[in-house]
Amino acid sequence: MSLKRAARLYIVGFIFIVLNFYPSKNLFSADVGNCLLCHKYPGLSRIDEQGKMKLLYVNEDIFNISVHLKVKCEGCHTDIKKIPHDPVNKVDCLVECHIVEPSSEQKFSHKDVDNYVKKSVHAALDKYGMPKKFKEDLPTCKNCHDEPLYRPLSFFKQVRPGISEAALGRCRVCHKKEDFIIRFYNHVTTRLHRTRNPINIAEVCARCHDDPLLVERHNLGTRAVFSYGETFHGKAARFLDERVPDCLDCHVNTGESVHQMLSHKDSAAITYRENKYLACSNIECHPGTSQQFASYKVHAEFNLDQSPVQYYFTLFFIILTGGTLLPLMAIIFLDLIRRLFPDAVIPRRR
Amino acid sequence: MATSSETLVTTAGNAQADSDYMHYVEGVGHVPRDIYKHVLSDPLGDLPRYSIHIVIQHFLIFITFITLAATGLPLHFGDLFWAPIILAPLGGPDSARIIHRISAGIMIVAALYHFITIAIGTYSKLKKHKFNLLHSQIPTLKDLNDIKHDIRYFLGKEQYRPKMGKFMYKQKLHYLAIIWGTFVMIVAGSTLLFPEAMAKFWPNPEFAQDLARLMHADEAIMASAVVVFWHWSNVHLVPGRFPLQWTFLTGRITREHQIEEHFLEYIDKLKDDPKEKEYLISVLKEKGYKTEGGEV
Ligand code: HEC
Ligand code: HEC
Ligand code: HEC
Ligand code: HEC
Ligand code: HEC
Ligand code: HEC
Repeated sequence: MSLKRAARLYIVGFIFIVLNFYPSKNLFSADVGNCLLCHKYPGLSRIDEQGKMKLLYVNEDIFNISVHLKVKCEGCHTDIKKIPHDPVNKVDCLVECHIVEPSSEQKFSHKDVDNYVKKSVHAALDKYGMPKKFKEDLPTCKNCHDEPLYRPLSFFKQVRPGISEAALGRCRVCHKKEDFIIRFYNHVTTRLHRTRNPINIAEVCARCHDDPLLVERHNLGTRAVFSYGETFHGKAARFLDERVPDCLDCHVNTGESVHQMLSHKDSAAITYRENKYLACSNIECHPGTSQQFASYKVHAEFNLDQSPVQYYFTLFFIILTGGTLLPLMAIIFLDLIRRLFPDAVIPRRR
Repeated sequence: MATSSETLVTTAGNAQADSDYMHYVEGVGHVPRDIYKHVLSDPLGDLPRYSIHIVIQHFLIFITFITLAATGLPLHFGDLFWAPIILAPLGGPDSARIIHRISAGIMIVAALYHFITIAIGTYSKLKKHKFNLLHSQIPTLKDLNDIKHDIRYFLGKEQYRPKMGKFMYKQKLHYLAIIWGTFVMIVAGSTLLFPEAMAKFWPNPEFAQDLARLMHADEAIMASAVVVFWHWSNVHLVPGRFPLQWTFLTGRITREHQIEEHFLEYIDKLKDDPKEKEYLISVLKEKGYKTEGGEV
């Protein structure tokens, strides 16, 4: 799964470059091991065990503006020690790379993120440390993170994605190295706003949370992305509205990692029945909301099992519509026929 | 003057008084009910039907209905391909939302305006003892009967269409549907637009919100379908009214249409309309019917 997606990542990236979405700048080189000697060729690909074509091409221009630009290829593909290399293993997102985190001066890794995931509802182990049923359904890093979403903020005058040349101009006053400026500009600004559209976040979750079988296996109450789409939030999100809450705005407790989402049955969760209104009353959303307001469904799925009244109500409207319209149309039709053929008679059968 | 329904009773014993076919009108004579096939009609309308108020109200509802549907449906069905196509010229979803709310406001004003017009009109008619159930929008058993007879007529089992008042069964049904629809849309729409206020208003706000969501969309689809397939077919497609029935602008109905579908209204109005009497007598004469007061 992740391989296919990774391939898509690179292809999509390739198209981006062709369209000249981002200016191609050869700013940095992570390519210490000279991997790109071979992997720079767009045709480099192979057919994998499932018969799918796997693109092994790495677009350097895109890699060089990605978040991982400072990480050497071998930093992630740790098992490659010699060139030409043997078939490679899957990348472990939690490896320590040679990058040093400046405030702690420790070698950097994403282990902390994993700790959050372990505390969240997406953890593979339950709170007693026993593996959950169907634990293969639970997301790993790569399940959620297969899209390159790197949208630097430009808020010099207006909020719009892209690098603000005007803001960069300020950095240049004091800092002299262009790559330093751009890297840190991106590093900070991408985190000052959403890097994704609400609808993109929903898509990340949709591959599991809209899968009816998975929903049933894990006893979840709703196909969450579908039901989100049935509400005003989801409808606005579909119009690429960024003011509406996405999954994270409601499911992540304020100030905590997005990786630490909890079940709504957990009393510590912001989605817990009694806490919900706190999420709604966020200053940017519905300040001062009441408990009643918070009781409105944010995952509106009116199926027969859970909301029979609403279900029959919808059915009633369908029947009402059909039941009025069809007879009315029949009358119009008969009227029309009579007008067009005033003398027509129905022959009597014997 | 006696009330109309009394004078409508045909005089038995008259040679032509097949009570079903002929209708006696004082000063005119016996009027055959299919005389509409022979009268002259101006497509813009010959006889008054709606007051200027009703025409204005129809116009307001017409404009706001289309605007509401054009903004509301694509907002609701945002994932369908045509939604952005419709929304783009309206300035995108944000401005479509505003337009939707403004139109809704105007529609509510038009509905109130209509309500007041009808209330005042009915009150003054009642006061003058001129109120006639037959010509009102109130459904009666007669309407059920009319449907039955009309269908039999369409099927060729009867020779004539039923004699109907100012509003025939179709129009009554449609009018009721509009009242119900407008009511549902206003209630559901306000519930959606003022979620916080309505949470205090409804006894079970959670449930009310669910119903409002469903109702607002379902009723919108239903109303649009009825208007497009039913109302527009009636006023545009019917031969003789194609391509457009002008009543909604002129407030006047063609003579042919009134006699055909609102025979009783025609007869009723005829009594107070010497010019129309004159005209009808000339038509009757031309067709060789006996007439009264024939100094035309
Ligand atoms: C001499 C040319 C060459 C160089 C240099 C090279 N590769 Fe490769 N790489 C290949 C070829 C050929 C394949 C396809 C191998 C196959 O189909 O089994 C490949 C496949 C891969 C794969 C995908 C394996 C899979 O099928 O999933 C990865 C990951 C990879 N290389 C990483 C690297 C990295 C990292 C470097 C630098 C340290 C590097 N390669 C340097 C030629 C090269
Ligand atoms: C931040 C870690 C990271 C860095 C740095 C990195 N890769 Fe990868 N690479 C991955 C991951 C994750 C995959 C997906 C396959 C997997 O899960 O192992 C992958 C897949 C690949 C593939 C196979 C493509 C496919 O569709 O399976 C190639 C080839 C590759 N990388 C080459 C490179 C080269 C060349 C560099 C250096 C320019 C590089 N990688 C740097 C993480 C990294
Ligand atoms: C349930 C899906 C999911 C899983 C599983 C997941 N992430 Fe994330 N991660 C997200 C989302 C969503 C974001 C926020 C993206 C945004 O705000 O644009 C995110 C953000 C991040 C960030 C960026 C934080 C920042 O502020 O820039 C890192 C780093 C990260 N994840 C690493 C990981 C690692 C490592 C793992 C595996 C241990 C992992 N994630 C597992 C969904 C997930
Ligand atoms: C007025 C001059 C000035 C401007 C403008 C400026 N910086 Fe700096 N920056 C500095 C100075 C001086 C330091 C060192 C401060 C310190 O160590 O306390 C610094 C430190 C930094 C550091 C930390 C480097 C390290 O290794 O500790 C980063 C990152 C940085 N600046 C990024 C930027 C970016 C991005 C911009 C443009 C948005 C910018 N700066 C604009 C003067 C400036
Ligand atoms: C407006 C806030 C909000 C948004 C946006 C939102 N959720 Fe929820 N979600 C909730 C609340 C609150 C609950 C708790 C159950 C309830 O009250 O309906 C919940 C419940 C859930 C559940 C558990 C359902 C069950 O009954 O078992 C899942 C899974 C879920 N959400 C996933 C998502 C996903 C995926 C998205 C993004 C597409 C999302 N949510 C967007 C607020 C939100
Ligand atoms: C790889 C599949 C997968 C992906 C991707 C995924 N989830 Fe989940 N999620 C699950 C499974 C499985 C569970 C049920 C866990 C359990 O049974 O304990 C779950 C549970 C949840 C719950 C708790 C439901 C409850 O009971 O209240 C929430 C909230 C949730 N996920 C949100 C998200 C959001 C938001 C995203 C996208 C950023 C996402 N998930 C992505 C598989 C996934």
